[in-house]
Amino acid sequence: MSKALNTFTNGLLRENPTFGLVLGMCPTLATTTSAINGMSMGLATLFVLVCSNVVISLLRNLIPDKVHIPAYIVVIASFVTMVQLLMQAYLPAIYETLGLFIPLIVVNCIVLGRAEAFAAKNNAGLSALDGLGMGLGFTLSLTVLGAVRELLGSGMCFNMPVFPENYGMLIFVLAPGAFIALAYLMALIQKLMKK
Amino acid sequence: MKPLIVAPAPHVHSGDSVRKNMLLVIAALIPAYAVSVVSFGWGALITMLISVAACVLTEWLIAKYLLKEQPTIGDCSAILTGMLLAFNLPSNLPWWLIIIGAVVAIGVGKMTFGGLGQNPFNPALVGRVFLLISFPVQMTTWPLPQGFKGSYVDAETGATPLYYLKHLVKEHDGSVVSDLVPLKDALFGFMGGSLGEVCALALLAGGIFLICTRVITWHIPVSILATAALFAAVTGWCGALPEGMCTSQYVAYTLLTGGMMLGAFFMATDYVTSPMTAWGKIVFGAGIGLIVMIIRTWGAYPEGMSFAILIMNACVPLLDKIRPQRFGEKVKKQQPATK
Amino acid sequence: MKRLESNLTNMVLSLTVVALAAAALLGGLYVVTAEPIAKQKQEKQQAAIISVLPAVEGLTIGEPETLDGMTLYKAFAGETWEGTAVEVAENGFGGTFKVMVGFDKEGNVVNYEVLEHQETPGLGDHMTSWFKTDKNRQSVIGKSPETTKFVVSKDGGDVDAITAATISSRAFLRAVEKAYAAYKSGEVQAVSGASILQQEAPAAGSGTEADTEGAEQQPINDTQL
Repeated sequence: MSKALNTFTNGLLRENPTFGLVLGMCPTLATTTSAINGMSMGLATLFVLVCSNVVISLLRNLIPDKVHIPAYIVVIASFVTMVQLLMQAYLPAIYETLGLFIPLIVVNCIVLGRAEAFAAKNNAGLSALDGLGMGLGFTLSLTVLGAVRELLGSGMCFNMPVFPENYGMLIFVLAPGAFIALAYLMALIQKLMKK
Repeated sequence: MKPLIVAPAPHVHSGDSVRKNMLLVIAALIPAYAVSVVSFGWGALITMLISVAACVLTEWLIAKYLLKEQPTIGDCSAILTGMLLAFNLPSNLPWWLIIIGAVVAIGVGKMTFGGLGQNPFNPALVGRVFLLISFPVQMTTWPLPQGFKGSYVDAETGATPLYYLKHLVKEHDGSVVSDLVPLKDALFGFMGGSLGEVCALALLAGGIFLICTRVITWHIPVSILATAALFAAVTGWCGALPEGMCTSQYVAYTLLTGGMMLGAFFMATDYVTSPMTAWGKIVFGAGIGLIVMIIRTWGAYPEGMSFAILIMNACVPLLDKIRPQRFGEKVKKQQPATK
Repeated sequence: MKRLESNLTNMVLSLTVVALAAAALLGGLYVVTAEPIAKQKQEKQQAAIISVLPAVEGLTIGEPETLDGMTLYKAFAGETWEGTAVEVAENGFGGTFKVMVGFDKEGNVVNYEVLEHQETPGLGDHMTSWFKTDKNRQSVIGKSPETTKFVVSKDGGDVDAITAATISSRAFLRAVEKAYAAYKSGEVQAVSGASILQQEAPAAGSGTEADTEGAEQQPINDTQL
């Protein structure tokens, strides 16, 4: 039981994909213009992570070593395409903002990284927990980053106005602000973790 | 009793110090600042005061309470950063924006990397670009010269010469030539613009003073100005200029307006963020000259000096690899080329 | 269970099975979602057109027409023409931008929607809302280029330019003028188009005459082709 708990919390804090492992920077920087956008991207990745982890864990002994990467990529790409089609059909508003980045989940290092490092060596249950933990960790960090950028950039928090937009620092909505916010958040979290 | 210091060679000290160099640069900025005070009145005084005070205070607070080390404000580098930041701002900027700029310049641009000597980017420009991207309306509403008349926030504003220059080249529209200030006014600083960039003559004088006192070398300014002038000349020769504007005029406007002089002599030559070797400096300057002209001609912003310098700042570690010289090694006389 | 050995048969087999399973799954899902996706896309375009047109019940959009590189969408309520949405491209400060401008029957601007642009963030990009905001003289909504001079006030016109973005503002107003010109020349066709519709309606019902006419015309059309 403690192993399961350990697997789950691992991705949340110690090996947090964004602030700990620094993986999947492309969606992290590009989609976190607001807390909602960050969270949606995180949840889409969470879905792909859990599904691909489970399937790859189930298939791990049926796939010969020499072809495991193409096989894993096909599995991951299928789930990503599923997310894309479903989002396009039923959540068009979110698809509009994230559309460009959904296909990029395929090459998100976290997904293939967890498949290689965890799902290929563990059973389906543990792999699902690992995917859930990692996915939630990713979602959490993207939401925090999105909230910080939204607050500083446009004076809003989850679309609720906090202060007049005129005082918002536009740079945080744009790409340079993503790097600045990410760097300071990472520094802060590293400092807190060391204590 | 003084402790005995055992250190490797060299033992002779020229009396040069960070503080002395900073003070010389500050002295070189004074003529340009004097013109700004005449042109922009209270705005020039207030902006400078807030900017310098906020920079020094930020550095002191961060050093004392965040880094927990001896504050280094005595070396005057924060004062210089504050001055250069103010030189790069419109003189009617609201006070809280100046403070944000100063905090970002010192906090993000300098102290995050470990203080003076560690920063890869020019701190004053980090502050300016942060403000420019965040508050483009306030940062691109330049007051026209008005002296001490009226209050400083409600100054009459207008487009700068660069705005018309860009329109001229991009739209091939000669009708705006009459809106440009005469070249004479650009030389003496009677035009709209950031606080310290308007008087090309005073900046040139300050720059030459710095070269004569050996605070900076000629390589960077000369290569920036030469590259930009060449680019402007080529633009003219290719027939990109509309009626009413000849090539030599365009070259003169290119060199005398915007942040060209200020950037070439005072911003790009910052020791920490420019290359050390002569060839490195020339490539550095040429890169800045090229990027600034590309941004001025095709970019979304009218002026690109600060972006150009920041981009080339990032290349400095690579440029330092161009023909480096071992310390103490004699310069080899170049072999005459055999024919 | 031991992992399968990496020999040719195993590799080919496992890859084929994985790929086939994935293909089958995705193919199935595609069929299921194809209809909602197509519906969403169409609704989105319709919504963009409707949003710039007069709020009339039961508006239908006619077939798009192109004119000088602009696209005209005419809107009808029943058979009466209610207005036209014009999609127009123009050179701004940072590059080409596209805007959809809607006019009502009288030629007043009903609304506009900037579809894509590359204007400077915080300056020129305010055009997405600036000219809709009813403040000073910056709004173009409800005004017609016939009565209002669609030129920035700095150049002697009747519309206030975006703060610190005169070139973007000039370009935007130029785009509206262009759209209006297209609307004007399109209006003639729209009226004649509508009249054809009205003529056809009784003709279709009146039987023999129309039928013989149609029969006579048919071969001529063929030879022309």
